[in-house]
Amino acid sequence: MKQLGLILFSMLLITLSSCKDKTTETPVSDYTLTFKATYNGQPLEKYKYYDYSDYKVRFSRFNTYISDVILLKGTEEVKLSDVEWVDFTPDDATNNLALEVPLQFQATEGTYTGIKIGFGVRPDLNAKRPSDFPANHPLAKETEYWLGWKSYIFSKVEGQGDSNADGNDDIFLLYHCGSDAVYRSYTFNQPIVVAPGSGNSVEMDLKKLFTINNQWYDLRIPTNQYTSNNPADVTVATVLMDNLVNAVSVK
Amino acid sequence: MRIYLWQWLVVSGIFGTVLFMVACGNNGSPTPGPVSACDLTDIPYNPQPYTIVKPAHFPEIFIPADNPMTVEGVQLGRRLFYDPILSGDSTQSCSSCHLPHGSFTDNKDVSVGIDGIAGRRSAMSLLNVAYVRNSATSDGLFWDGRSKSLEAQALKPVEDPIEMHNTWPNALAKIRESEDYKTRFRKAFGITACEDISQELAAKAIAQFERILISSGNSKFDQYLAGDNFALDDEELDGKLMFFDEGLSNGLQLPDAECFHCHGGLTLTGNQFFNNGIDSAGLLTDFKDLGRGEVTLNEWDNGKFRAPTLRNIAMSAPYMHDGRFVSLDEVLGHYIAGGKPRPNKDPFIHPLGFPMQQGTQTVYTGFTPYHKQALLKFLHALTDSTFVNNPDIQNPF
Repeated sequence: MKQLGLILFSMLLITLSSCKDKTTETPVSDYTLTFKATYNGQPLEKYKYYDYSDYKVRFSRFNTYISDVILLKGTEEVKLSDVEWVDFTPDDATNNLALEVPLQFQATEGTYTGIKIGFGVRPDLNAKRPSDFPANHPLAKETEYWLGWKSYIFSKVEGQGDSNADGNDDIFLLYHCGSDAVYRSYTFNQPIVVAPGSGNSVEMDLKKLFTINNQWYDLRIPTNQYTSNNPADVTVATVLMDNLVNAVSVK
Repeated sequence: MRIYLWQWLVVSGIFGTVLFMVACGNNGSPTPGPVSACDLTDIPYNPQPYTIVKPAHFPEIFIPADNPMTVEGVQLGRRLFYDPILSGDSTQSCSSCHLPHGSFTDNKDVSVGIDGIAGRRSAMSLLNVAYVRNSATSDGLFWDGRSKSLEAQALKPVEDPIEMHNTWPNALAKIRESEDYKTRFRKAFGITACEDISQELAAKAIAQFERILISSGNSKFDQYLAGDNFALDDEELDGKLMFFDEGLSNGLQLPDAECFHCHGGLTLTGNQFFNNGIDSAGLLTDFKDLGRGEVTLNEWDNGKFRAPTLRNIAMSAPYMHDGRFVSLDEVLGHYIAGGKPRPNKDPFIHPLGFPMQQGTQTVYTGFTPYHKQALLKFLHALTDSTFVNNPDIQNPF
């Protein structure tokens, strides 16, 4: 009888442990978010003149930080990443097409209801400095930190424009957005499937970025050509970071 | 069968020669085997980790996993850096073009090699060169970024026909004759035989030494960053505010000088590549020196060069990739004017001043001689004489 009890107890333990295994065996898959830079839906091409209002502009640099990439399932949140740096126009590119930047994460398989992406560096990380991070960390990049503002440069869009078609660029576009006040997090409510080989693209369209309330952002106005150097004045940066919600799409 | 003494000697000689050739033919990584022209295993191999000294506010340095810093490696690299043994006629070393008193430049417009032939570019400062790997979008040494790492870079000048004009086999043959170097390579890398001394190990040692060429943190600018509000005088402070586009000074708006976009971060360079408008070029193919374009083969990169560090810039004249400007005053004059037209000029290179709309165009006004003087004074506040006098980085011979 004593032996029978031991046998039954053992079987119970085995059964329980087997049940536990089943509940924790949730399949996990790679999930790739590929960031793409576009202009009017087409891959962005560095230095190419684009028709803009009744003049022309071209872009030479485009990069951005993203923070808190989170998958949503109802009220449940699954964080994929704290912070990443996405550079569409690296110096070592061998042609002028903006690079597609794939970021690979892992997540539990299933269908999520949306994805949330922070644009910029979220405030608690933005309070740190490059020397606070190991050399390979995205936030260790000295070139992406603005000492004057004590902030990371959340995004850089640089370019030039020719306002009067005389062949000489007289517009210098220098948008370096930074500081906690312009950090933005946007939610894209749409089915996101995580399964083996799955992924989505995140398109950032510069034409849409500079289209504010269905109007061209007038790049001939000097104060519209650059983000302010005054930390208290984030007017232009706010315009652009607010408009990211219209310029970014998840596909 | 009788074997005569002469037959035995011939056979032994052939056998020995073959063994010697096999051993000396190997100048790559250590290969275990019983035969060696010289056995170094009696020399103790106990490398000590080297801790790089850097200012606390400086970022971490990337150290490649296959070349950890050791005391012995740094010491060996320092000797190789200063030793003319690597050049074809044993007259030039790395330090011939990178001298401490010039903040590891040679203060020449372009460097001259062992045959008296002038190169086409100026020697870049090696101050904080360890941070190149930390840069945002680039990974390249030389003005055009053609080498991806310090280890790869260190291989090139030896065989450059205009610089050291040697071959690595020749350089290694000389090194292997040196008892001191045999011992040092053993102590640094644990090789077991002198034929294991290779160009890759020499480059690793030089790279280790170059990684310790770090600012001391004692410049006036660093003292200001460390909290000494009086380290910079009013002019230097205004220069700093313009340099970093920080705007207001005592309630007055200062013009942006836009410097930090290319010379940013604590090392005052992002090691990125820019076309700064120093030459006119109607077409992208018009540049005399293609610079970065030679590496990427993208004509839009023609005329771009790596932005050098501005730390110790007052010690490293002349300026630009070809040393065309002899003074910082000339350099500032170039940037204040906004550079010359060229299709791929960087957007930050525009006339300095306050932007104003004039008709459909933007013009810049209000950049005064005071602003130029303030910038100049700030650039001098970046001087770090503690670094250039650091005994650990001087010529050990």
